[in-house]
Amino acid sequence: MSQDARRAEAGVSPASAAWPIRLERASVTYPNGTAALRDVTLAIEPGEIVSIVGLSGSGKSTLIRTINGLVPVTSGSVEVGPHTVSGLRGRRLRELRGHVGMIFQAFNLAERVDVYRNTLVGRFARANALRSLTGISTAEDRRIALAALDAVGMLEKVWTRAGSLSGGQKQRVAIARALSQEPRVMLADEPVASLDPPTAHAVMAELGRINAERGLTVLVNLHLMDLARQYTTRMIGLRAGEVVYDGPASEASDADFEQIYGRRIRPQDRLGAAS
Amino acid sequence: MTTAEARIPARPRTWPRTALVAGAVAAFTALTCIPAIGGVEVDLAAIARNWRNGADKMAQLLQPDLTFLPRTLQPMLETLQMALIGACFAAAVSVPLTLWAARPTNPNGVTRRLVRGVVNVVRAVPDLVYATILVALVGVGALPGLLTLFLFDLGIIVKLVSEAIDSSEHPSLEAGRAAGGTQLQLNRALALPQSLPLFANQWLYALELNVRISAILGIVGAGGIGRLLDERFGFYAYDDVSVIILEILVVVILIEVSSNALRRRLV
Repeated sequence: MSQDARRAEAGVSPASAAWPIRLERASVTYPNGTAALRDVTLAIEPGEIVSIVGLSGSGKSTLIRTINGLVPVTSGSVEVGPHTVSGLRGRRLRELRGHVGMIFQAFNLAERVDVYRNTLVGRFARANALRSLTGISTAEDRRIALAALDAVGMLEKVWTRAGSLSGGQKQRVAIARALSQEPRVMLADEPVASLDPPTAHAVMAELGRINAERGLTVLVNLHLMDLARQYTTRMIGLRAGEVVYDGPASEASDADFEQIYGRRIRPQDRLGAAS
Repeated sequence: MTTAEARIPARPRTWPRTALVAGAVAAFTALTCIPAIGGVEVDLAAIARNWRNGADKMAQLLQPDLTFLPRTLQPMLETLQMALIGACFAAAVSVPLTLWAARPTNPNGVTRRLVRGVVNVVRAVPDLVYATILVALVGVGALPGLLTLFLFDLGIIVKLVSEAIDSSEHPSLEAGRAAGGTQLQLNRALALPQSLPLFANQWLYALELNVRISAILGIVGAGGIGRLLDERFGFYAYDDVSVIILEILVVVILIEVSSNALRRRLV
């Protein structure tokens, strides 16, 4: 099946949405003096699925957080679609964030809140202040949130407390939360690092499906080389805050990974195949 | 290859510091009991001189006059009403103030310090001082007692819950912020339900404290069983006083037992 046909089947018009991402000499230095990102220049096209690979402390998390302004750049610029993230504040920054979905290593759900209300968090950027205070959502918000839960196969758990779900289920709810933003870009910060291998493969496949069916630009932080090769088309290697590799993920050789890691490859750098 | 025993690093010596701290505390305690240098006068001989006096009163207290019990029910009910209404109002007002006073729910340092400062001042004033001033302002009765309990509870709840929120992790707030939510949206939909057990804990604790405190607030005219206690004490009616004390004891224990049971179910 062609990509366009699959998108039409999912009810999404092709490339209706996806946004490009441009980083121009972006640097981040934290207040304690740590230089987390040095002079990073990148261009990511709409609809690409890109992995950012590196060891912990290489600046992956910082890089991905500059895209939705959770971490402001100290110098250089970040552009997402029509927005220049650096310099956005208040309402404009929240509007941009509304267009950028994000999932996290620790899932970041409110554990005592049910799946439904956790998913509705994805509608925050579109809701008005009075409605959020009363906790009443519009029929449209409800429809979008339930459709997102259905898309990740979590609809039957809609009234379950997030805290009582398994890790894989939590990450699916987190994906539904991001999808209900109807985002143009999807960011994933080590989305499978807290999951067991079969669940990790399922979640990565889910991200791949979102990219293929909805045509979203997907950026995913990974530290495992086989996941990057299998699920993404382009790979960016990060070491000590600098881009040391940028090329097709499938062609990245073991030598390339050794250069990114700055050491020999170890068994724990691979997750292993889906059983 | 030497044995692990031989390569063990030298153990740091900590006992001199422990000894110094213990010695300082002991010396300070001893010094505060010497009146010649401004310490308090502790005259243990007074116990020996006056024990007969105290023993007589204890004997009277040990003979409660239970026929007095019906007269205590109305004031006790007033005390319980004051305690409950004061705790409920404090609970309602504590929610926005607490979220304002905690860092994860209010990143703005200026307003956070302002709210904390005001709450610290409210908490610094002793409850009997509030009661005395409020009796002068609004007159004798249950109202000044209720207001006292409200202010007292508010100080405790806001301080303890905001500190508990500060020291716990809130990963869901980062996700909500990444989704473009305002602080108000995050607090209402995520932080409040996550912190509800912390709140419930202190609300119940405030109710327990209120029953205990409102028993003595009556002494300065702020209504409830305390007023009756003060009155019977003034008449040297120790058999009635002991009935009141026993009743307070029973009510406090009942409230504590039931609030403990509730708390276990909530958390």
